[in-house]
Amino acid sequence: MKFFIQVLYVVILGWLFSLFLPWWSIALAGFMGGYFGKSKANFTAGFVAIALLWFVHAWLIDRNASAPLTEKVASLLIVQSKTLLMVSTAVIGGLVGGFSTLTGSLLVKEKGRTY
Amino acid sequence: MKIKFLISLAVTILLVWALDKRWTAGNIPIPPLGKFLAPSHGFWQNIEPRGYQLPEFLNLPGLKQPVTIVFDSIMIPHIIAQNDEDLYYAQGYITAFHRLWQMEFQTHAAAGRLSEIVGKSKDDAALNYDRQQRRLGMVYAAENALRSMESDPVAKMVVTRYAEGINAYINSLSDKKLPLEYKLLDYKPEPWTILKSALLLRSMAQTLNMGDKDMQMTNALKLFGREMLEVLYPDLEPMGDPIVEKPGKWNFEPVPLSDTIMALPDELIKITRLVTPDPTIGSNNWAVSGSKTKSGYPILCNDPHLTISLPSIWYAIQLQAPGINCMGVSLPGAPGVIIGFNDSIAWGVTNAQRDLVDWYRITFQNNQKEKYKLDGDWKDTRKVIEKINVRGGDAFYDTVIYTHWGPVPYDEHFRAENNRRHYAFRWIAHDESEELLTFYKLNRAKNHADYMRALDHYSSPAQNFIFASVTGDIAIRIQGKFPARKKYEGKFVLDGSRSSQGPQAYIPFAHNVMDKNPERGFVSSANQYPADATYPYYINAVSYEAYRNRRINNLLRQGNAITLSDMMDLQLDTYSIKAEELLPVLMGYVDEAILTNEESEALRLLKNWDYYYKKEAEAPAYFENWWRTLYASIWDELRSDSLSLAYPTAWNTIHLIKTRPDFVFFDDQSTPEKETLTHLVRQAFKKSVTEVEDWKKEKGMIPLWADYKDTYVEHLTRMEPFSYHVQHGGHGDAVNASSRRHGPSWRMIVSVEPNGPKAFATYPGGQSGNPGSAHYNSMLGRWADGKYFNLMFLQPDKQPAGSLFTTTLKPD
Repeated sequence: MKFFIQVLYVVILGWLFSLFLPWWSIALAGFMGGYFGKSKANFTAGFVAIALLWFVHAWLIDRNASAPLTEKVASLLIVQSKTLLMVSTAVIGGLVGGFSTLTGSLLVKEKGRTY
Repeated sequence: MKIKFLISLAVTILLVWALDKRWTAGNIPIPPLGKFLAPSHGFWQNIEPRGYQLPEFLNLPGLKQPVTIVFDSIMIPHIIAQNDEDLYYAQGYITAFHRLWQMEFQTHAAAGRLSEIVGKSKDDAALNYDRQQRRLGMVYAAENALRSMESDPVAKMVVTRYAEGINAYINSLSDKKLPLEYKLLDYKPEPWTILKSALLLRSMAQTLNMGDKDMQMTNALKLFGREMLEVLYPDLEPMGDPIVEKPGKWNFEPVPLSDTIMALPDELIKITRLVTPDPTIGSNNWAVSGSKTKSGYPILCNDPHLTISLPSIWYAIQLQAPGINCMGVSLPGAPGVIIGFNDSIAWGVTNAQRDLVDWYRITFQNNQKEKYKLDGDWKDTRKVIEKINVRGGDAFYDTVIYTHWGPVPYDEHFRAENNRRHYAFRWIAHDESEELLTFYKLNRAKNHADYMRALDHYSSPAQNFIFASVTGDIAIRIQGKFPARKKYEGKFVLDGSRSSQGPQAYIPFAHNVMDKNPERGFVSSANQYPADATYPYYINAVSYEAYRNRRINNLLRQGNAITLSDMMDLQLDTYSIKAEELLPVLMGYVDEAILTNEESEALRLLKNWDYYYKKEAEAPAYFENWWRTLYASIWDELRSDSLSLAYPTAWNTIHLIKTRPDFVFFDDQSTPEKETLTHLVRQAFKKSVTEVEDWKKEKGMIPLWADYKDTYVEHLTRMEPFSYHVQHGGHGDAVNASSRRHGPSWRMIVSVEPNGPKAFATYPGGQSGNPGSAHYNSMLGRWADGKYFNLMFLQPDKQPAGSLFTTTLKPD
């Protein structure tokens, strides 16, 4: 349960911050999610949260696209398929989310296992 | 603090840093992956959703009154402003909205600032390009243009308001809204200045008017002598059909020139120049009088041939305000409409080709180059230190020496092959000029007299301006600032130590080549020789067009009760007079008894060819190869690494093949045995068939012309996913002058009628420069299929029909 709350926390903060802060504000979201919403699997929670956020956001944009830019960028970045590009996007966001959440969780005094 | 925390923190920061930074792997730049892929900020934000529209209202600082912009189904903005100042502001704003990156990139390139964006590149290509632009004095030229813009209150208002509109758009951009290319290359736009508009216009002049062969001609004169020079490179190739033909009716007294005999140069020059004019850049325009059209109203057509790239070179727009209601295409970065029509007139341009470049030999006092010889004295040079910022590296400093003639581009520090001889570069577009006023006035012109007054402001790049009016007039005028010269003056390099070698006078504008309502019922131009041989001024150029112009005139002469659809057919005509004149001659040399199967088949295809470069024709691939191979083998003696020499034109080569089959150049001087034209033609045929056969094997396809030619519309960054291959017929020598990378960059046909113009047009691209927009390439398909859009021309106080959406710009 704690894990899901933490994921939700990072997703919501990540989305809110992205409205007015630079892209790396997901790291702030992760950090806060780690600090305030600590669970037993902080890295995973942060990773899943941002990966999910980015994947869904990218997928929604692409679903309603009027031009095939996703395909073009996929071919430019040599991943070729658009699904693969969305997955790569999710993984990159996920990594930042994972590490930042882990960092946040490590800031408080250890009360037991943190990851 | 735990060590674990610190490690984790460090990893996070490092990760964010690495994903926020642009990398290069080998020579391939990688965009900052985090920033670029973040759906909230990266390229995803450039994907326009279906049905994307601008907001209904936009508040903009600096507007005086509200401006309405109606967008039609192909995203052409129709700007309805209540005064001129808001009109140009809105043009700047909306052009930037669609094309900001392109506008800035083109002006950076013109100013020699590419290294700032791309950093160090392979073989220093970007840095060399930048140095060349600086050394040719592009910024110097733009600053002079700027000076004349600023000295005229109207020009200054137009260009300043345009800049303010662009800047309003730039200031409204958040990081996530930056055009895609900024995100990919990881940089940001800087404020627009009026100098950038001047740079853009000068960069167009560079494309159109910077060609010359002075050094090549000087070398040819020294190597072959004057007689052979005339045979190889005649100034006037007698194929007929100049732009204006009125022998003996040039009713003016030409400017008197001094009768001192000019000494011709006697030297060899070793310079490999970077800029070489592309002979396939040209254009067509014509206007047919009402006496020859079905409707009884004049029809005007124009298709400028330029490098076909994306974002498109042109941006279509309608400008409406009190005193102006004009539509056509603009150049992103310059205010006004360049080619178009209004409710009274239509106009268009083709390039005038004239040699407007001179090279003056400079004698410096010593290696310090602080003084140079002029009229027996030593005159001071001016040294300009050019600082070229290189992204991710140290700035590069280059010193450029200026004389009163112009800059000295090539020296021991830049393309040093010239044995330390120095030549100053004099280009007509270095001078002050006020072409913006020309377009300001043309956009508002009501009749022929207005058109003439507008052109009186125009000096560079020299163009053939075609005209038609609702009152039934048709006209053409070759307008530019042309030095009045004696024979050969300016064909070769000139002696820069004597000020008398400079132009003594310019041809008065009233003496420029022009015509109005000629008896034949049409006016036309296709970059051919400007006037009949009785025109009293000396004319020379890199080359004049030889085939398209005759085809156009042949069809227009025959034409009667001409309709708009006839004009579309003519713009799309792929017939080649060159093939018609050359192929039978070449086939006469072939010995059919000794051919391989492939060669016989090729010959059969060629015999059955109707000389049309149609998409699905097979013969053109063989003809193209045959001619190209033959042309190169005929002139191979002129190919030299140490000396630049020019190949004679295609027309003259064919002329020599027909009239002097035993011409000395048909024998390869480097081999002992005597070669003949027969031998060369047969050898070229064999080789070209092999080449086409190889192509067939490699591609596994039949060489249909569209596939073989492979028209490629390339994005300015050369990134392939943003570029397109299209299936299109045509050839540089046909009216539809589409080659692989060049072609009709805008096709326009206007019937000038009293109840409003009827206009049809298309261009190979789309209004939006954003590859994430449906309008990035929305016209490309129709262009390739030879179809047109019926342009919506809004009349004042009438409800727009067929619009997509409307945006109102409001004063903030």
